[in-house]
Amino acid sequence: MTHANQPTKAARYGMTIDVDRCNGCGACMVACAVENNIPPVPEANDRKGLTWIRVFRVDNGEQGSARRSAYVPMMCQHCGADAPCVSVCPQHAVDVDPATGIVGEMPQRCLGCRYCMAACPYHARYFNWWDPAWPPGMEKTLNPGVTPRMRGVVEKCNFCHGRWHAAKQLAAANGQPDGPVSYTPACVEACPTGVIRFGDLNDAENPVARSVRENGSFRLLETLGTEPKVYYRSRKDWVRQIAAAPKPGQRKENGNG
Amino acid sequence: MKSTRRDLFLFAGGSAAGALLTPAPWRLITDTALWSENWPGVPAPPRGEIRTRFTNCSLCRAGCGVRARCVGDQPVQLTGVASHPLSRGVLCPFGLTAHHLPYHPARLKQGPHERALAAVSAAIGSGDRVAVLDLQPGRTASWTYRRAMAALKNGVYLTNGPSVAYDLHQAKTVLSFGVPVLDGWGTPGNVIAARENFRLIQAEPVESRTATLADVWLPVQPGDEDATALAMAGELGADGSALVLDHRGPAAAMALNQRLGALGRTVVARPEAPVPVEWRSAAPATALAQVEDRSIRVLLIDESAVDGYVPWYQIERKLVLDNPVVVTFTASHGGYARHAQYALPTAVYPEISEDIPTAIDSVAATFRLSTALIAPPAGIVNPAEWIATLAGLAEGDTIRERADGIHDSGRGAIYTPADGKTVAVKDLTAEAFWKSLGEAGCWIDEPRHARAPETTTAVSEPHAHDSDVDLPLVAWLAGPSSPPLLSPLMTKLYQESNLRLAPNRVALHPSDARAARLADGVHAFFQTRLGRCGVDVTIDPGLPAGVVQLGTAPGILDVYRPGIRAKVVPA
Amino acid sequence: MADNADRSFIARGVKRCSTNQFLLWIAPWAALLCFGLYAAGLCLIKGLNQTNMDNRFAFGLWIFLDLTVIALGAGAFFTGFLLYILKFKELNAVINSAVVIGLVCYSGAVAVLAVDVGQSLRAWFTFWYPNMHSMLTEVTFCISCYLTVLAIEYVPILLRNRKLREVPGFLVFEFELHKLIYMLAGVGAFLSFFHQGSLGGLYGVLRGRPFAFREGFLVWPSTFFLFIISAAAVGPSFILLTTWLVEKISRKRLVRPQVFQLLARISGLLLSVYVLAKTVDTLIWLNHTSPARGFVASQYYDWKPFGTWILFAEIALFGAAPAWILLMPRLRKHTGWLVSAAGLACCGVALNRFVLTVQTLALPTLSFDPFLSYLPSWQETGTFLAVVAFGVLVYSFSFRYLRLFPEERELQLGQAVEASEPAGVLVER
Repeated sequence: MTHANQPTKAARYGMTIDVDRCNGCGACMVACAVENNIPPVPEANDRKGLTWIRVFRVDNGEQGSARRSAYVPMMCQHCGADAPCVSVCPQHAVDVDPATGIVGEMPQRCLGCRYCMAACPYHARYFNWWDPAWPPGMEKTLNPGVTPRMRGVVEKCNFCHGRWHAAKQLAAANGQPDGPVSYTPACVEACPTGVIRFGDLNDAENPVARSVRENGSFRLLETLGTEPKVYYRSRKDWVRQIAAAPKPGQRKENGNG
Repeated sequence: MKSTRRDLFLFAGGSAAGALLTPAPWRLITDTALWSENWPGVPAPPRGEIRTRFTNCSLCRAGCGVRARCVGDQPVQLTGVASHPLSRGVLCPFGLTAHHLPYHPARLKQGPHERALAAVSAAIGSGDRVAVLDLQPGRTASWTYRRAMAALKNGVYLTNGPSVAYDLHQAKTVLSFGVPVLDGWGTPGNVIAARENFRLIQAEPVESRTATLADVWLPVQPGDEDATALAMAGELGADGSALVLDHRGPAAAMALNQRLGALGRTVVARPEAPVPVEWRSAAPATALAQVEDRSIRVLLIDESAVDGYVPWYQIERKLVLDNPVVVTFTASHGGYARHAQYALPTAVYPEISEDIPTAIDSVAATFRLSTALIAPPAGIVNPAEWIATLAGLAEGDTIRERADGIHDSGRGAIYTPADGKTVAVKDLTAEAFWKSLGEAGCWIDEPRHARAPETTTAVSEPHAHDSDVDLPLVAWLAGPSSPPLLSPLMTKLYQESNLRLAPNRVALHPSDARAARLADGVHAFFQTRLGRCGVDVTIDPGLPAGVVQLGTAPGILDVYRPGIRAKVVPA
Repeated sequence: MADNADRSFIARGVKRCSTNQFLLWIAPWAALLCFGLYAAGLCLIKGLNQTNMDNRFAFGLWIFLDLTVIALGAGAFFTGFLLYILKFKELNAVINSAVVIGLVCYSGAVAVLAVDVGQSLRAWFTFWYPNMHSMLTEVTFCISCYLTVLAIEYVPILLRNRKLREVPGFLVFEFELHKLIYMLAGVGAFLSFFHQGSLGGLYGVLRGRPFAFREGFLVWPSTFFLFIISAAAVGPSFILLTTWLVEKISRKRLVRPQVFQLLARISGLLLSVYVLAKTVDTLIWLNHTSPARGFVASQYYDWKPFGTWILFAEIALFGAAPAWILLMPRLRKHTGWLVSAAGLACCGVALNRFVLTVQTLALPTLSFDPFLSYLPSWQETGTFLAVVAFGVLVYSFSFRYLRLFPEERELQLGQAVEASEPAGVLVER
């Protein structure tokens, strides 16, 4: 989250996620955990776990053979400059990086008050309810590029900001400190079916930037005005309906998110 | 001058007030920031030179190419190799986390080596029947077992069924009865690359991951597969562009595939990389089901590489009743170690350089090694060497021998991940070929005329049973089996989200759960007429009522067979 | 002997129970405090996984009860404001008790907050790296300052203890401090205005939670003002309730009936204003604010058990009804009605805080969210019971050894006189 090396044109990294291609394998989830040194939390259930990216199963509400499901990967939506979580943190532990548009979280500054978690409508923020614990010896397999967090702080997807830094250093080492930075987050790299694509939305010719302008592209809870940078795509009407707020009379049974 | 108590209080109060004017208390307060960042429990990632190494994943026979980002020699991140002709840069969740396996806390590290050797030697000495059960045939180790069994007086080499391969690139239609084509069946990258070519009809009672992305989902109940297949045979055509997959095994779909003209075209005998001529006189492969019951005295199970878990009851009935000796070579407590007399620890991927046999969706033979990235711990056993020594085979580097044999054949080409280039074998020396294999190269055979697979008849299982009346649910497996050891990070998929059903869990529709008086997360027993197994319960409104979806833990598989009826009762 | 030493700390002219009886009274509360400290210790040492809060219920029992307790403790600042700034002299009878209650409420809330945050050692970060846009920064600053103010206001009460007065230094200090009382009251009122409001603002600014989000005036959402009004309305009710409770437990008359009536009238009046403001705000929210953010308001009440009953309970049953009772002279003359109304008002504030903390988080925001429920663990309940026990202990000690109720002595003399008169109708002065 440095403001020192601003490129001549700031990037606004975003994603486009093709729900029609996702088979719910979960490769993105484990790749994210490997890249970001997210500890396994065997004592947790799905309400207390640490899953910076999480794939949800949604369905069309029918029963029996008329039922159709789809899988929706969800991570921090990296809202626009006015992200709901940024203004609420009492310690300035959250900011929107002007160079990349990434909403960053500083675990070293975080007090663990969880106000940002209450503020986020996408449930994208996760709290370290337990001390991070890897089985003995497995700390040797941690990624040296990312700091493990301590207990009692909030963390979330940061579009693999560490990889952006590494790419920037590489560009600087190659004599192009202000050049465009191209990198790939772990989930994008791991997805077998190419569901998640990542790129600079400010670069009009970038395939991701072009894709979000096409029909069938939508963002979740757009009416809230959060201006997220994660776009979803689907050709199915009932899938596009998930972007809207819960409707009256629509009730879900407990348990399946 | 006498100091009074009042003086003492004044001094203390003054010092305290004065101390506030020094940096000391403020430094202590700001130091709390550093303390809170460096609690003893938070591990520090390793430091060292970052290197890239390559290997091939041996968790299953897909053998996907792996690029390992290493700190020194320790892999810290595994990704796919984008230019790999077979895996095309894809790794499944198991492959992405496999670098954790050597440190798995539940990993088997010690075993009764001497006692096992003594028991087996004694039994062999008395001329009783010895068998090796190879759960992933086609490896070089498989040939070692075959040669070892040939060297023994009464040795037999067992595998778990016919070897078939499928060509998805040539297929125009795939009719899958419950086979998770798009979710862990073949080589993921290859299946996805071929996906645009074929129309996928997924026929199964539950809308699985594969069904979600299939072109058509037919909700077909177990038991109705044959009727459905018959009804659809007409529209599938007979020109060999359609193929059928069946969760009951290739034998169940063999007749239909023959009718569709797929045999020899899209359904072929699984090819194997050439082996040295001297090896060809090894013992033949016998299907486990073909062995007489109660005839095996010593059974050696190689659990270090498993295509599919064979339920224990199918194995147990082949053992003699009187004092059988079962030795399993495994890294996990959860598989046959529960039943065997002796469990000997093996290495796990990526600790050992072994070859990976051809994948189920490759019609060209392949040969590649899972080149070791780190050293295995002391005390582990190499099953092939152990069995070879037992049978008195000469020592030797069998993998090198086989590689030389492939090189001598002059066929095919080898792809090297480091430079992404494919070079014909003819253009390489044997040394260069071996070196390339050691750098995770992948040898692919030239296209050859594909052989039709052996048509074996499916072993018929008895159908409905009297005791089925009080078994109200149909059992259905959720997805492909998982490797015996799972990285602790798999909790992300099994527990910290409800994305996948954990291997030791079963899922029930809410109405079935209510009828059985089971709540979400409770411990229960999954019961069939084959026995029962302790499980944890998940409630899933997405399931149809009347179906219990099963995780693939060996304990559950031990009491399961396709189409079996079951119930789940509170513990 | 011990009894005599103990007696020498008790003010003259008032009766207190024997030392042994007092020890018998505090023993269970001390035990509860120990249990609660153990529960809190578990949460601090083992981490917040000891609670049943989770990623969806980031706030749980503690935040809900903290907000309630701070609203109830508003009686401290409001009584001070009414007494020293608006010169309602009758409130002299309860100001000391109000300060102790306020101190206990705020210190308990701060103690629970220290356990509630994941990294308590970093509590000073808010002061060092404050975020001016965050309501929670404002809350932290003002509550810390106000707690200091309350502690300073408590010191004179403490120093007026019979034994401590014998130290000349203390007497002088207390006398000088009392000169500041008007300034302290003013500062306290100012700080309280802002932090009570900011506590409401915490939820009103949540753009991502249309159930809680409100529009308002400049940067302040309507919940900012509603929280202030409700705290001011319920403060006197809570004072009334606690005073009545202390009278019942100690079996003494501690204040003149006029004081109760005054507290009731103030509370009733403010409660009426609150009900009106809340009704208007709710109508605006239901018909304009929430739909404008894409969330049709009726779907909030689809999720059982949070039906529309909760809205009516908050405004009508726990708002308009006690307001009416407290404003009706005939009803509030009866202790039963009076105390019930005060109790209902306090419940109303608790319900309001619950709705904004727990219900906000329970309701889904995404269309594929499940509705989740939350029940606190024993460690969470235990920690809060420690605060209750702490409060009862501090108040008990203060009541026994300090002059919390200046009118008690005269009332006791009056009681003694009445006891010697023939039984008849009590004449109200």
